[in-house]
Amino acid sequence: MDEQRRLEAKGLARAKSRSRRLRVAWIRSRTIRGSLALFAVLWGIVFVQLVSGNDPALSSSSKSGGGNVAATREQQPSREPAPEAEAETAPLEPESEYGYESEAPPEYEYEYEPETGVEFEEPEEAPITTGAS
Amino acid sequence: MSFAGPHLLWITSRAAGTAALVLSSTSLGAGLLIRSRGEPRRLLGSDARALHETLSLVTLIAIAIHGATLLGDGYLHPSPIEISVPFTTAYRPLWTGLGIVAGWGLAALGLSYYARERIGPSRWRTLHRFVAVFWVLGIVHTLGAGTDAGQLWLLVVIALPTVPAAILLLNRLLGPPAQRAPASPLQPATEPPSNVIRRNSA
Repeated sequence: MDEQRRLEAKGLARAKSRSRRLRVAWIRSRTIRGSLALFAVLWGIVFVQLVSGNDPALSSSSKSGGGNVAATREQQPSREPAPEAEAETAPLEPESEYGYESEAPPEYEYEYEPETGVEFEEPEEAPITTGAS
Repeated sequence: MSFAGPHLLWITSRAAGTAALVLSSTSLGAGLLIRSRGEPRRLLGSDARALHETLSLVTLIAIAIHGATLLGDGYLHPSPIEISVPFTTAYRPLWTGLGIVAGWGLAALGLSYYARERIGPSRWRTLHRFVAVFWVLGIVHTLGAGTDAGQLWLLVVIALPTVPAAILLLNRLLGPPAQRAPASPLQPATEPPSNVIRRNSA
């Protein structure tokens, strides 16, 4: 009788142990799957952000990044040249007789007014060089 | 896809870094629930230990991916030393260095679980409490060096597991040191030593 009880108790303990092992395996499997899903979702968010042009490190607009992105740009150049920067570095096409047409607004175009008593000498004509040449 | 092509490793690194912070926060929360005596422990039971262990290991894998994928980044071109030795990289050396310290700290204290018999359970438990310090360093690293640190989605994703974990941590730090079961007035709070003979005073 005692032997019977002992065997039953052993069987019960074994079943409990097996159930616990299965439960732990289930938790581990679910955790790993959940982690992979989390990684995939985060990867997708960053990817869509980058492809749509809203990536804080690649985007040229300062509104999307905030202070942190501004700091990034100050410390190092952007990963890709911004469209404005490309336009600035493009070769100038001569549009005037000097090969350069100033686009400065009128208030920046000033005339020299010599003070009274000060002689003004015309500078010698130097050959005008353009950025396009 | 062609636009994102050169940045695939960079995207992977950013996603892995964010995942590492989310997973470490969840792991910390589960770890704090193991030892807590309140209602959540009853809900989680001993499963919290399995959850904590698995989350910790997955966190370490995510940290390893976060650093290793940067090695292939065509823009930063970090060397193995720059991604493994703190404060040696040219890119935001302080914030990146803190992240490297956090990564090594979490790895050392997390993996020490498998050597706790050699370290001594009591000493290991004391050491394991410092995981929280490295977790905080990880948050500082994310907010200081993270490319997406200013993005609303990142702040929401981080806050969801981090705020509950921080509340549990503060509860542990500021709460009573040992929540023992209240002793019954009829029974002694602790069992007397075996060599003490209890005599009936009546």
